[in-house]
Amino acid sequence: MAEQFVGKASEFKDGERQIIRIGEDEIGVFRHQGEFYAYSNFCLHQGGPACEGLTIARVIEPLREDKTSMGLHFSETDMNFVCPWHGYEYDMKTGAHIADPRVKLRKYDIVRKGDEVYVVA
Amino acid sequence: MSSPKASTRTKAAAKAADVKSGARKPVAAKAKSAKAAAKPSLKEASTKKAPAQVDPSPAQKAAFLKAMAAGVKLDSAASRALVKKKGSPFAATQEAVNAPAPAPKVEVLRRIPAPAAIIDTPESKTALALAALIEKAIDSGDLGKVQPHAQQALVAALCKLYAAHAEAGERFNILGQRSATVAATDVMVVCGALLKAVDLQVFELGMWQSWSSG
Repeated sequence: MAEQFVGKASEFKDGERQIIRIGEDEIGVFRHQGEFYAYSNFCLHQGGPACEGLTIARVIEPLREDKTSMGLHFSETDMNFVCPWHGYEYDMKTGAHIADPRVKLRKYDIVRKGDEVYVVA
Repeated sequence: MSSPKASTRTKAAAKAADVKSGARKPVAAKAKSAKAAAKPSLKEASTKKAPAQVDPSPAQKAAFLKAMAAGVKLDSAASRALVKKKGSPFAATQEAVNAPAPAPKVEVLRRIPAPAAIIDTPESKTALALAALIEKAIDSGDLGKVQPHAQQALVAALCKLYAAHAEAGERFNILGQRSATVAATDVMVVCGALLKAVDLQVFELGMWQSWSSG
């Protein structure tokens, strides 16, 4: 495992993504709310480009005390990204599948050295 | 005169005397003695020295190692056992295998820009605050907080605003990502109510859609 230079943080806008290839690995690098996240770009469902689909706030359904629904809302804290092939949805911070958190995309560590961003791969 | 019986006896006696003296030997006996002469005795064999072993030349050693390396999988226990000393042709191959692989290069395949920045006008901010207020009222279950006349005003204004944008060529998804929070049933109820409010039938909507790009 070696640190691979991806780019400069100052050139990486918030909400922007980069799909990079390191050796045989294809990796999606996200910048979300100032933090960097990197995941394998191969969807666990059927190998689609998991990191290239829609990014969307998580849809939540709060319940009242009597367990009736308060309707569907967007979460103000959690963001997901969706595989464009069949809609497998993953959590931006953990790479875990929304419906089954045991299923996780391979996560790559990010190292920041000043303005430089590295992926450990 | 001697009898024929007596003559045969004398011939046999003469043959026996020849064998004893060694002048004449039977064929089987000859073969046995030849073998005994060729084969050294046990004593002789134990004292006889083996021919001296000659060390193979460096070129022969190298050729042998090359031949071995050709059939041995690199970086295996067998290959490691083959490497006796540095400088042998196999050691060179093994060193090449053990050498750290060159660092893979980072190749940028695609750059996906951030979604277009939202321009917040004062009117948009007010509309968003109003939307949040309405959602809160629905969540609380107190539907009377937004009275029908207020809803009518809002729906009418939004209909006009969206249609004006569409006519100006600024088409956008009417719900956008919020479509995830609106149930299909809600959409059908509202669409039906809108058509009824302006006395339109569903087939008229179908005709409109088939004639236009709307």
